[in-house]
Amino acid sequence: MKESEDGNQGDEGGDGLLLDDVRRMRVMVAGVRGAHLVERVLPASLPRVWQVMGDLEGGFGEFQPDMRSVRVLRREGDRVEALALSRYGLRAHFHGVLRPGWCWLQSRFLVIGMAAVDEGGRTRVALTGGVRAPGRAALVPFGARRELEEAMTRLAALVTE
Amino acid sequence: MPSADPAGPVGPADPADPADRGIALVRAARRGDTLALHDLLDHLTPYIARICRPIALDDGPDATQEALVAVFSRLRSLREPEALYGWVRAISVREAVRVAKRAGRARPAELTDIPERGDPQLAADIDDVLARLSPGHRAVLVLRDIEGMDEESAAALLGVPTGTAKSRLHRARQSFRKAWSA
Repeated sequence: MKESEDGNQGDEGGDGLLLDDVRRMRVMVAGVRGAHLVERVLPASLPRVWQVMGDLEGGFGEFQPDMRSVRVLRREGDRVEALALSRYGLRAHFHGVLRPGWCWLQSRFLVIGMAAVDEGGRTRVALTGGVRAPGRAALVPFGARRELEEAMTRLAALVTE
Repeated sequence: MPSADPAGPVGPADPADPADRGIALVRAARRGDTLALHDLLDHLTPYIARICRPIALDDGPDATQEALVAVFSRLRSLREPEALYGWVRAISVREAVRVAKRAGRARPAELTDIPERGDPQLAADIDDVLARLSPGHRAVLVLRDIEGMDEESAAALLGVPTGTAKSRLHRARQSFRKAWSA
């Protein structure tokens, strides 16, 4: 997969073989029942947007509504392990993947998915996630869209400050 | 010949090997592990793209995305995880043909406008030759000459009589021969 510090552009203009990260997120959402996808084009460059989104211990906690603090425990290649504390005092021990423009995190009870690609100097962002339904690749749909919309609004405010 | 290995150009020794990474990921994903689903996406994308691109051409990324969406949304309906690659291949070919037709690139079923001898630059361009085939012809070529399926299996997958698949293959190959010799 073609990647750079500015994220996976999908190589769609090159070999036409791979998908950019927002397209990949649409596929993930198709595979997780009950998952919602919120997409928006933000008026900021991809490096600026990902500077916030990809900073798990910083900007990430500022726009994800339920995250009070996040501590990265381990990084190995694109694999990441992190401990998050919600504003309700609940802990979440995440395992997942963090690449420029792409993040997929899973804990016992939660899933968080984020993708960002350049769109003519602006940035298309895709967010998904929510509470896991036990025993299958599914999320509890209730309330998820509102939380995702809220996260997107906060992110937009942060990156256009 | 077995189906191609998603991880590379060489096919696995045994595509039904239960230890195959893709099959193991499917099992984990169906138990609810979304990280396994994520890794399955990375694993299958090159395989699906390799099938979709020669059929859907410029719409390869659209076809790849739609094939992946179809695969992921139906993953629970896959009865035997060991059948993963054949199942994915069938979905990918059908989605690629559908996307190519939808994009208005469908050509008449019978080839009438293959490159002429008098147009060597055009004729020598392999992509151009491909573009002049119908999605159905390209699908037969991919299944037979890239995926290594026999004509009967390719015909069954495409839902056409074996004779039609043979005829399409003959005409598609003939157009390449003419293109190269032009």
